[in-house]
Amino acid sequence: MKDQLSALIDGEFDVASAEHLITSIQSGGEMESCWQHYHLIGDAMRGDRYLSSDFSARVMSALEAEPTVLAPKAALDNQIERKKSLFQSNQFWSIAASVAAVMFVGMMVLQQQLTSSEDMAPVEMAQIVPLEYIAAHQAAAPSGAAYYIQNVNANINSAGQ
Amino acid sequence: MFRLAFALTLSGFTLASFSLNSFAAEDDAWLVLQKAALAARELNYQGVFIYQNGNQARSVQITHMNDNGQELTRNLVLDNGLQSGQAREVFSQGSDIVIFHPQNDKIIIEKRRGQNLFPAMLPVNLQPLKLSYIARVGMLDYVAGRQAQIIELIPKDAYRYSYKIWTDTEYGLLVKMTLLNDKTETLEQIAFQEVNMLNSHDLNWFQPRIDASKNYVMEDAASLNRVHTNWIVAELPPGYIKVDHIELMVNGKASPINQMIFSDGIASVSLFIEPIVKGTRTKTGHKLVGSTNICANVINGYQVVVVGEVPLATVQMISKAVSFKKQTASNR
Repeated sequence: MKDQLSALIDGEFDVASAEHLITSIQSGGEMESCWQHYHLIGDAMRGDRYLSSDFSARVMSALEAEPTVLAPKAALDNQIERKKSLFQSNQFWSIAASVAAVMFVGMMVLQQQLTSSEDMAPVEMAQIVPLEYIAAHQAAAPSGAAYYIQNVNANINSAGQ
Repeated sequence: MFRLAFALTLSGFTLASFSLNSFAAEDDAWLVLQKAALAARELNYQGVFIYQNGNQARSVQITHMNDNGQELTRNLVLDNGLQSGQAREVFSQGSDIVIFHPQNDKIIIEKRRGQNLFPAMLPVNLQPLKLSYIARVGMLDYVAGRQAQIIELIPKDAYRYSYKIWTDTEYGLLVKMTLLNDKTETLEQIAFQEVNMLNSHDLNWFQPRIDASKNYVMEDAASLNRVHTNWIVAELPPGYIKVDHIELMVNGKASPINQMIFSDGIASVSLFIEPIVKGTRTKTGHKLVGSTNICANVINGYQVVVVGEVPLATVQMISKAVSFKKQTASNR
């Protein structure tokens, strides 16, 4: 069934006989999340405009215009919104995922500030491995062999700390 | 077929000209590098290469195709969780790079732009490199079962490392590259273990393996484009020019970080500047991680960090050259 879904998105499936697919997407659950993922992957590979350079600006304006975005769970329950347009909900999910990630980072920073406010002595560079700077450098360096290969390692290290 | 014929003629030409005289040797070396820069972008090939930095090694499967002037590449990192469907996949189309990065129950999609990935490590325009390096024709060697011509890039000063580049004598493709310090110790190495030219024009490989049980999410690090102008870099090491200036969100940082990227054509250095947030510890000193030198300073209430695959002198010089204009910086 997922193969059929993929084919439907690629325009390689007869829409007239796809009613069972549409129904299963609308009923939510695994097929719906599948539908969202396939579209997100497609957007990323095509360089879709929703993922362009001013993406973050649009996230921020969407945040202002749509306070309910802050509670994606609640929005999920909003059946009327969902039935309105699958396309709209697709955009919405790309944005909601990013907003959730931003909130998560924000919380991490808050926690760090609370715990480290006492000791203000500088950290000697030799004692730490500043992976975030190395990753950011390698991500932007014009000749990059290291970035996508090494970052795997960086993530494992930081998760293990 | 035409491309193959072109590659053969060009290699015949360069090999013949090697024997002319020693004065032409440097020109020949640059010609081989020029051909390598083009071959990596124009040829269709598939192979496995190994990247080593410090004590780490990774192998990567690459498929590259030039589809009527449009470059398509897929890199599959082979070491991590290939069996469990956890392998990282990297796709590039022209200058757009999309990375599928599995992490626990999620697959994070990262987007990048305009990097010269292996084997296209050399810029097409070699002119900037000629300011800072001397190119020298070295020995003949074998890499991945293929005959290769070694070209050495020797720095003219102490602000960069030297490079050794192996190029396929038949196709001109860069097949191996090493980064060496002034004691000729190898810091970084990237080399094909096997490589084959592709005859097919089938593009079916250019699609990610989709794992329907995973959540796909875009990465949260979104680049911003506001640019502060209250700081300046007085003097760069010779040969380095600013190639980019971005503001970005780094995991765990509340305010965006300014990142300036400097390059001499092949080596690159990033300069990070961020206001020091009350209650966080600043960083000072320097460290070597693999082939990467890092140097941290505090200047006028800003944390300054310089990072690059360059000698310590280069990152230190750039970090000392940062100064801030008179008016006190406001973060907004």
